[in-house]
Amino acid sequence: MKLVDVMSASGLSMYAIVALVLFVAAFCAVLFMILAPGAAARHAQASRLPLEDDAPLAAAHRSSHEQ
Amino acid sequence: MSSHVETFSYDDAVVRKFLWATVVWGLVGFTVGLIIALQLANPWFNFNLEWLSFGRLRPLHTNAVIFAFAGNAIFTGIYYSTQRLLKTRMFSDGLSNFHFWGWQAIIVAAALTLPLGFTQAKEYAELEWPIDIAIAVVWVAFAVNFFGTLIKRRERHIYVAIWFYIASIITVAVLHIFNNLSVPAGLFKSYSIYAGVQDAFMQWWYGHNAVAFFLTTPFLGLMYYFMPKAAERPVFSYKLSILHFWSLVFLYIWAGPHHLHYTALPDWASTLGMVFSVMLWMPSWGGMVNGLLTLRGAWNKVTEEPVLKFFVVAITAYGMSTFEGPMLSVKSVNGLAHYTDWIIAHVHTGALGWNGFMTFGMIYWLAPRLFQAPLFSKKLAELHFWIASFGILLYVAAIYSAGITQGLMWRAFDETGRLAYPDFVETVMKLMPMYWVRVVGGTLYIIGTLIFVYNIFKTWKARPATYEVPVNSAPKLAKEVPAAHPAPVGEGALARFQSVRWHRRWEGMPMFFTVMVVVAVVVASLAEIIPTFLIRSNVPTIASVKPYTPLELAGRDLYIREGCFNCHSQMVRPLRHETERWGEYSKPGEFVYDHPFLWGSRRIGPDLARIGGKYPDLWHVRHFAEPRAIVQNSIMPSYGHLGRRALDFDGIQARVDAMVMLGVPYGEAVTNAPAMARAQAQQIGAGIEAEGGPAGIADREVVAIIAYLQRLGKDIKSAPVLSTGGVTP
Repeated sequence: MKLVDVMSASGLSMYAIVALVLFVAAFCAVLFMILAPGAAARHAQASRLPLEDDAPLAAAHRSSHEQ
Repeated sequence: MSSHVETFSYDDAVVRKFLWATVVWGLVGFTVGLIIALQLANPWFNFNLEWLSFGRLRPLHTNAVIFAFAGNAIFTGIYYSTQRLLKTRMFSDGLSNFHFWGWQAIIVAAALTLPLGFTQAKEYAELEWPIDIAIAVVWVAFAVNFFGTLIKRRERHIYVAIWFYIASIITVAVLHIFNNLSVPAGLFKSYSIYAGVQDAFMQWWYGHNAVAFFLTTPFLGLMYYFMPKAAERPVFSYKLSILHFWSLVFLYIWAGPHHLHYTALPDWASTLGMVFSVMLWMPSWGGMVNGLLTLRGAWNKVTEEPVLKFFVVAITAYGMSTFEGPMLSVKSVNGLAHYTDWIIAHVHTGALGWNGFMTFGMIYWLAPRLFQAPLFSKKLAELHFWIASFGILLYVAAIYSAGITQGLMWRAFDETGRLAYPDFVETVMKLMPMYWVRVVGGTLYIIGTLIFVYNIFKTWKARPATYEVPVNSAPKLAKEVPAAHPAPVGEGALARFQSVRWHRRWEGMPMFFTVMVVVAVVVASLAEIIPTFLIRSNVPTIASVKPYTPLELAGRDLYIREGCFNCHSQMVRPLRHETERWGEYSKPGEFVYDHPFLWGSRRIGPDLARIGGKYPDLWHVRHFAEPRAIVQNSIMPSYGHLGRRALDFDGIQARVDAMVMLGVPYGEAVTNAPAMARAQAQQIGAGIEAEGGPAGIADREVVAIIAYLQRLGKDIKSAPVLSTGGVTP
């Protein structure tokens, strides 16, 4: 028996529902990640990275202060 | 914790190289685009030269603008921004240079082989197998260099632009490898391992995601880096950028089948592609809004700064084309637009507006910094902006009109229920004024590009004798995630989870992050690919469909060499106006021996799925020699060389052998292909002579391509043959 026969006979009607659940879960995880308390400060800091990259010394001070 | 400060410098030399490559190849790609636009407006511009005909130059244009112009632009931006965002030099200067020179060598190889007719016949994946291997090697070198840089970075947080680069690098590799799997039949000839429906599915899984992960996500990374730089303020919403990223990664990979609506692709796959395409609209517009609102409070700068003008129009074009894309993926809209110039207009809104203007804006911003001299002329940059913008408007307005006009003419019925425009060439002639307006629009865009080249060249001329290489410093990255950032709110596992330190830890593990992207891309791909390949009911076989004879196979390869699939589809959709015009709609089982599939994506000429037996052989001989002698207003190039050039009969055996390796049941032809081909060619040649045609053409290429065309669409009309003994001439 070939793989094609197995797959053709296996009835994959649940396939779409499983995919839907997985994707909704992934979407919820992303939403949580960006809305979770504590994320805002980190995002504000991250969003400034392109503006700081021409002045690495300043960034160094910032980083060492964090640590 | 150690805060030991390290010093380092950035490798801007490689950025300058990629910048120049972008400028040069952009000009080449746009010029070839202008030539093929002229060829459609007047076939005289094919110059009766086979290597300059539309079918061969069109893939050169698309490859040049996508992989040469946009590709080098991406690398310019990635090499510049990655080093600065990660506060480190690239992992290896040697790999950077190997990437640069390797990529340029691949472009030169494409520029030589495509006009010579070496092609796999897959859109945006035309390059033959040795070049495909070279692309894979160079891409891996780029990936090693990029991920090596990530590992040795001095900035813990991986900025969202880098996420877009990671997704692009990984996904392009996956797409390239799987769509280009083929069996060689010579140094520059190969056959896709997939056939028919499955090949079409793989091609548009690749084709759509090439647009997504080569022309969209890397440019979004550039937008998230260069827009804040030019506007001198952070991106409007970092949260939105994260949502934008993950939504695109999860959704884009599913959308490919919308390129195959109403074809022989299973309907479930087509619907799935449509639904995910419609969902893509929201994150795409989230990204557009995020880009534009980065200018909040700074819109006055747009009036003074050409870089921002280019970015604003680019992001607006991104928004327009990512609204139009989902709209075109709706089946009823697609039924009108597919195979027409509407798709060409859609693509050029994105390519000229989004990719082109993002690139111009980025280079105008980079040039003074990389060449360490002020931009030669802001006024010329402004002039470039206005001329190119007007050029885009003329181009897309004309071609949208052409697309909708032709789509409506194809489906028009008169009061008696017959096709209102049964003669296909009528629907082509109607487009000529719009094709000339496109030529004007494209010319304006190129004039703008010439101004750009002059401006950048003059800026470069003013460079210092020796470039200054600033020495930067930053502390080495600590191994541990900072302990109290942010501080957990409360105690317990939930509080720790809510403090999102876990995500911060992920960001400190770029390889883990990369694996997450791979999982999102691969799971989505497999969810579509596995059923299409492994469930038999998706491609019901037809007993009367047999492999092509050796001569027909050789003719099919000539059809591929000449790029006929760039203008002719081989797919009758189950729509009334299609079956009235072309005949019975196409079935999945008709294509099981088609390595590769040749359904096409544009009907500049008529569909050929049912051409077999429609005209006598002699009609084809004369039509190939001079199309306008047969169809007065045809815009098809002349293919007189097919009647002059001898067919390589002996080379047919290697082609049959490759097909046999792919499982095509060739029976007697496995050992006797050249003799079988000669016998069939003699028969066709004698028939042509008997019809009053030229004598002695049985050994010419034209006979093979006629044999192929006369076979198209005939099998489903034949009685099923139960024997599996292979082909007979």
